[in-house]
Amino acid sequence: MLFFSFFKTLIDHEVTVELKNDIRIRGVLKSVDQYLNIKLDNIQVVDELKYPHLSAVKNVFIRGSVVRYVHLPSQSVDIDLLEDATRREAANQAVKAK
Amino acid sequence: MSFFGFNNGHNTAATGFSQAHNPFQGLSGRDDDGDALEFEDTYDGLGDQLEETKDAYNDDTFGDTSDIAAAPVGKDFDFFSQTAKVQNAIEEEHYLFNRQQPPARSAQPAQPVQQMSYGQPSLQSAASYGYTSQGHYRTGYEKYSNDKYNNNEPVPELQVDASLWGVAPKKPAQPAPQVSQQAAQSSSAPSRKILSLEEVEAQMKAQAQAKAAQATPSPAPHAQGPSQIPYDPAIQFAQPAQQQFVPPVDHTRQALPIHVLQRPQSTQAPSPQPPVQPAAHQRQPSSTSVQPTQILQNPNRLSGDAARMGMQQHPTPPVPGPSAPPTQPAHRQQGSFGRQPNIITHPSQVSQLTEEQRAAYMEQEAKRAKRNHKIYLMSRDNGVMTPQDKSFVTRIQLQQLVAATGNPNEHGTDESLTEDFYYQVHSSLQGGQRQHPNQPLNNFAQTYLFQTGNRSGHMRRHRGPENHMQRMEQQVQRAVEAAKNKPKNKQLVIEGSLGKISFSNAKTPKPLLNIKRTESTDDANRPSSAHKVVSAGDRKSDLRTIERIYTILMKMEDHDRVLPPPPTSDTDVEGHQRGMRWSNEAQALNQDLWSALRVYDEPQPGHPHPFVALLSYNKGMKAMNRIFRHLSQEQRTTILTLVIVNLDKLDVVVNAQVTSAAVQLTAAMRENIHIFSNAVMNTLFNFLNELDLDIVAGLLSILSKQRLDIIAKSRIGASMITMILSRAEIIKVNVGNTHPSWQAWDMCHTDFFDRLEPTLPYMFPGSVNTADDIYVWQLLAALGIGASPEQQQRLVLAVKDRVMDTVALSKTLPADMGAQRLQNVNLFMRSIGLDVELLQ
Repeated sequence: MLFFSFFKTLIDHEVTVELKNDIRIRGVLKSVDQYLNIKLDNIQVVDELKYPHLSAVKNVFIRGSVVRYVHLPSQSVDIDLLEDATRREAANQAVKAK
Repeated sequence: MSFFGFNNGHNTAATGFSQAHNPFQGLSGRDDDGDALEFEDTYDGLGDQLEETKDAYNDDTFGDTSDIAAAPVGKDFDFFSQTAKVQNAIEEEHYLFNRQQPPARSAQPAQPVQQMSYGQPSLQSAASYGYTSQGHYRTGYEKYSNDKYNNNEPVPELQVDASLWGVAPKKPAQPAPQVSQQAAQSSSAPSRKILSLEEVEAQMKAQAQAKAAQATPSPAPHAQGPSQIPYDPAIQFAQPAQQQFVPPVDHTRQALPIHVLQRPQSTQAPSPQPPVQPAAHQRQPSSTSVQPTQILQNPNRLSGDAARMGMQQHPTPPVPGPSAPPTQPAHRQQGSFGRQPNIITHPSQVSQLTEEQRAAYMEQEAKRAKRNHKIYLMSRDNGVMTPQDKSFVTRIQLQQLVAATGNPNEHGTDESLTEDFYYQVHSSLQGGQRQHPNQPLNNFAQTYLFQTGNRSGHMRRHRGPENHMQRMEQQVQRAVEAAKNKPKNKQLVIEGSLGKISFSNAKTPKPLLNIKRTESTDDANRPSSAHKVVSAGDRKSDLRTIERIYTILMKMEDHDRVLPPPPTSDTDVEGHQRGMRWSNEAQALNQDLWSALRVYDEPQPGHPHPFVALLSYNKGMKAMNRIFRHLSQEQRTTILTLVIVNLDKLDVVVNAQVTSAAVQLTAAMRENIHIFSNAVMNTLFNFLNELDLDIVAGLLSILSKQRLDIIAKSRIGASMITMILSRAEIIKVNVGNTHPSWQAWDMCHTDFFDRLEPTLPYMFPGSVNTADDIYVWQLLAALGIGASPEQQQRLVLAVKDRVMDTVALSKTLPADMGAQRLQNVNLFMRSIGLDVELLQ
């Protein structure tokens, strides 16, 4: 749930989602769910010349499993908090694994 | 009998032996054996149970044999085609049965529509199946919205209808069935219906005629006539003209079987009237007196009845197909509706009204139809589920909800904080534009439970069945409890399935990998790693130590959140105990942290102090602020002392020495310095500002015993010195320097100054062009304030070159940059009573 929790804080921030087929889509993160499916608004494909068929698309819903990377706006990430959240997550996992 | 030596066992059926063939002869020949089979023993006697006289249903079973009755039996054994002819009817029947079973108990209005549309099984058009798919449902009152009723065109048709049905078929048809009914009732048991030969004959004939009528193409004048006030599109369509084009002669004959056939059905069929009335009606030879009262009792049903009537006024022939008769609608009463003079029971009467009356009537009718239709739509599924079913489903849903979102009561508490830590804290840090982060889900579950509670609260006042609702709530509670306590088994083995079915929910998506850690490896690893932490001073163990500190810190922070409220009074034993427990636990955690910090551990030769080593890692520096919050004053002082003692061994001091050459520090080191000054120095500075002069003096004396040249030539070291000196100056301002401890301080300061003096010219980072030297001027200023006049002179001498160079340089720089540099220098100059203005 860490990533879900994390991405929820990025809602309404601009992110760039890189798909496994190399398409990179920049847009405002509208929502994310526990499968890390992503809904983007006001999208723009980074390499628009290569993917002209996407130039008319304004918003997308991306299945979480096809995402390779999500480029984050670093200023909206609280690193210390994220570290702690990661520690907690790891502790939770350790408890669950036993 | 033996003949020519043949025994009895020979073939007696052969030519020459005029004996009847006995299939058991061979067996009977062995009578001696004693175990021969006798026919009477082997025959099960089923044939005796046949009722030879009860062939009345044979037609129903084997199809319409009237056509072939005259013909010889022949060799056509194609029974299937006979069945196939009515296959649709069978299917319909099947469907209808399934469909009607549940609503038959409660849903009254549904009946006419379904039965009527089914009443013509021979019309296997899409329309007669119209009710099978939801899409074919119409509201049923579109008719009222169109203008047909308002213009005069259909009125003449209406009158024609009236003459056709109202006069011809109805009156002659009416008495006959009643009488025959009476007769049938007296003669035959009501539960079991047996057709007389005449009845069957009449039915056959009617069928044949209906077929003929069907074959003749007809203009169907009534199909759209408003007289019928159709209730369902299926009816409207399934009612072509063939019915009213049957010659009137047949009406009486047709009517007979219909009514006879209908009777048993009608007794079973749920009737809107009180159950007494149908029975009464059956025994009344002239039902006219009864009928109007029924209508008056159910004015709302008028439209429906009228529609039904409009259709069933026609001498509806039992259309071919053996299943047709039993499914005829049960509304025998129809026949007398037309007799009611005041209430419009027959569509034809509409034509006799004035325009306004008609409009009003139609409006009312439309309302009724609408209402009826609504009731019908709603009640269609009445009673499909029992209350138990409903509560069961609700429980399942709630359980899903609980599994997916967790206990709604736990939101905003530990549970959600562990699961959704980052988001919760982040959004609270961001000023909480959303107070409740997972409001949608959370609220959903909560409001649901709330509503349940409210509803039962209402019911308590109004009605009886609070019991059920209470039980429901308890069940919900139990379900929630069970879902919480149940060990989370990720996989479910269903009996008979070929593999494991793993299920997931929102909280725990299906794991792709399920790695089971065995306890043995865990145990094997632990001692060795623990051993390492103690012994080695390598990077890995340092990092592990830091993680351990963080873990303890998080535990302590969690512990802080559950701080019990202070005991309300001295007698609040419970509260005291809680407080005691809490502080004991806090104490234990504090001890954990303290030992994890390894402040008292002896440094290994060749390695820095273990605690100081932690401060060379980003993580370690960042933890400082949090660590200090959980330490006692004493422990803090110890740490501060430790840092100062080891200041010349700190990574950010030793490896960040400034030189006169413009050598840039590495980016990593610059970042480390930045973090250190932000995290550690800040913390220490805040703490130092609470300390008294004697401790500050002690710190300064410790500092002067360290390698001051190294310390002063680093940004962190210089800042540290400034911190200590400025703290002393502030105390001096606040308290005044009359305090006896000032003597100690002065001694320390003098000693310190002497030791620092040689380094003074070399503290500046890089050449004079380096702008980032404000911290040095700050240090010099701090030195200058507390310095004696003689020390001030030495200060000026030591840094004179740098001052002059900077002033000269500032003139060549752009105005704002130059002013900035001068201001930095002025910081120092003013501390010793001078000003850069004097130099210009």
